[in-house]
Amino acid sequence: MNENNHHDDLPQATLVPKKHRRISVVWIIPILAAAIAIGIAVQRILSEGPTITIVFKAAQGIEAGKTFIKYKDVNIGQVSAVQLTDDFSKVKVTAKIAKNAAGLMVEDAQFWVVEPRISLSGVSGLGTLLSGNYIGFEAGKSASKQVAFSGLDEPPPLTEGESGHKFTLHATRLGSLGIGAPVYYRSLEAGRVIGYKLAPGGKSVEIDIFVRSPYDKYVNTETRFWNASGLDVSVGASGVNVRTESLVALIAGGVAFDDPIFPFDRVQATASTVFKLFADEASAMKQPEAIAQRYVLYFNESLRGLSVGAPVTIVGLPGGEVTDVGLDIDPKTKKIRGRVEIVSYPERIFGQMRGQQTAADSAMAHNIERRHELVRQMIEHFGMRAQLQSGSLLTGQLFVAFDFFPNAKKVKIDWNQEMPELPAVPGTLPNLEAKVGSILTKLDNLQWEKIGANTQKALESFTQVMNEADKALIRFDSDVTPELKSAIEEFRRATVSANKVIQNTDATLVSPDAPGQQELRNAMQEVARAARSLRVLTDYLARHPEALIRGKTEEKP
Amino acid sequence: MSTPGLTAAQAGLICCETCELLTRPEHPERPGHCPRCGAVLESRRPHSIQLTWALVIAAAICYIPANLLPVMNTTTLGTTEPDTIMGGVVFLYTSGSWPLALVVLIASVMVPIGKLIALTYLLVTVQRGVKGGFRERTRLYRMVEIIGRWSMLDVFVDTFTVALLQLKPLMSVEPGMGVLFFAAVVVLTMLAAETFDPRLIWDSGTRMEQKK
Repeated sequence: MNENNHHDDLPQATLVPKKHRRISVVWIIPILAAAIAIGIAVQRILSEGPTITIVFKAAQGIEAGKTFIKYKDVNIGQVSAVQLTDDFSKVKVTAKIAKNAAGLMVEDAQFWVVEPRISLSGVSGLGTLLSGNYIGFEAGKSASKQVAFSGLDEPPPLTEGESGHKFTLHATRLGSLGIGAPVYYRSLEAGRVIGYKLAPGGKSVEIDIFVRSPYDKYVNTETRFWNASGLDVSVGASGVNVRTESLVALIAGGVAFDDPIFPFDRVQATASTVFKLFADEASAMKQPEAIAQRYVLYFNESLRGLSVGAPVTIVGLPGGEVTDVGLDIDPKTKKIRGRVEIVSYPERIFGQMRGQQTAADSAMAHNIERRHELVRQMIEHFGMRAQLQSGSLLTGQLFVAFDFFPNAKKVKIDWNQEMPELPAVPGTLPNLEAKVGSILTKLDNLQWEKIGANTQKALESFTQVMNEADKALIRFDSDVTPELKSAIEEFRRATVSANKVIQNTDATLVSPDAPGQQELRNAMQEVARAARSLRVLTDYLARHPEALIRGKTEEKP
Repeated sequence: MSTPGLTAAQAGLICCETCELLTRPEHPERPGHCPRCGAVLESRRPHSIQLTWALVIAAAICYIPANLLPVMNTTTLGTTEPDTIMGGVVFLYTSGSWPLALVVLIASVMVPIGKLIALTYLLVTVQRGVKGGFRERTRLYRMVEIIGRWSMLDVFVDTFTVALLQLKPLMSVEPGMGVLFFAAVVVLTMLAAETFDPRLIWDSGTRMEQKK
């Protein structure tokens, strides 16, 4: 109530409603917030590059919002969605590309999934084990932009910035080569296998290789490529040779290339040049046989051990190879005989000649008439004949050898046949066999019992002799040894006294105060004096040779 | 339900906001200072509605980037992964810990937006002079005021994680832009709740209003 009174006494305050509503400074806050938010939004929108879609066969390890697209290990985009294509057969990956990488999205740009790849030739994409798979990107050269791409199944072999050349090799089989297998030039890693596919027709394999600069300039049209996988073990006169390009090639395979060992025209290879991939270095380095002459040989002996590809040698040097082994019926005798077709490479034969002969004979190699004349001369005049010889007694492999048999029957070569027949002589091996056989028969015919009895007799007498020798020795022991002993003692005594004599001599001669020594010294002094006077005499005589006749004249002072 | 009764302002009095002494103002325009505690006397906080509006709008603007931008950038073995608040909630829910997801959802998403809605509701009702529900609205205001600081939870979690998870190069956590905006939302709503004068709730629908 007191309060009430009090209250009544108080003057009535009036609230003046504010008419003018000043804009408060506080509005800066929302304006600022809006400005920042809009700024960020604008920046986001501006930095947003194009959205692209890539179609992959499978989206292994690709996650929306987590998988990046990387170019040279730099993120240029991020996967925003992973869906199946409309026909559910593939995966459509939608990705947002950074604004600054928008220019890279051109027609021939390549995308592939980078995942850890562990192959024998190395481990790649190891980083993805920890970071997860990502989409690799390779820029294209086209200028027309594109937003829909189809991804590669395998990473493309080349990365931009590596200069070099691509070449194609033809091989009958891929062997152990894989993508990334090294390519060697003189054991240096010069490139790698970047791809392979079955050649059209399915009869061979096309292997694409990339040879890095500067090695690519050593590839010319005549360059030989061979499969460098594995070990090359050769047993020669110098021992066992083991060669391999590298440990990697040993395990993962590889390709090696080099210039051929024979002369050739160096023409720089282009990307379109197709090379043959040889199985090994030896076959790669084989000279191409431009000129080949075929002959046929008939043998009346076993051809067992003679196979197609067996060498044909001329005086032991390679000159061709066997191309066919078969049967034939002798038109005269109607007897079945062995038919061996060979091919000879004149170039190779003449290539083994030296110096000026080479030039002359390479002309001969190309001139059929002159070559035939040479062969005819060899066969008809010098008795060159084909013979089957054994390359190895162990394996029984045969080869055809041309050697000279001056005593062989004269023959004529019929050059009109498509395959001229060359004369052959029976091989040495059957002869050897026959000889060994006859030796064995002789051995068989020996009277073994008699020999045995004789041997026994001989042995018995030998035992007798030995017994007597024994006896003699024992006698020697009892009779001679005591004598010998005393003789030895005598000898020792003699030695002792001889020793004493020598010591005495030493004392007389060697010790400085020995009389002998003293006398020797005096004698030497005398000799020296004599020599001096002799020198004086000779000097005098040199100056006064007349003294010899007239005698010494008194010198005048 | 509840009647506002006579307010101090209607009675021409001012209650000191600090020591709650009821005084007569020196002058209606310039009320002066509290004779007991010396605090500045105000019948109503000046520009309360305008200030609150500005702060609420600023907070609402900041709320958008706070949720869109990552609050945390987790770098695990070279891969940087941004995490937004909602992303975290979804992650927690899908990984099975739904109670945690609920806590984060309530503390980090619902509370800020709830505060913004509550403040907007209070501002609108005060401006439109809605009569009735005075006590409920006052209770709502108190809740907003009390609950305000708790939505800093997210910022704290972020700060701790960033400070603790620096296992470079295996793993590291960097704060994202989102957390700045989120902190701004929290601070701005707290300030908005502070600038809002709850006495205004009672002004509407009182005799004073009727007088006008």
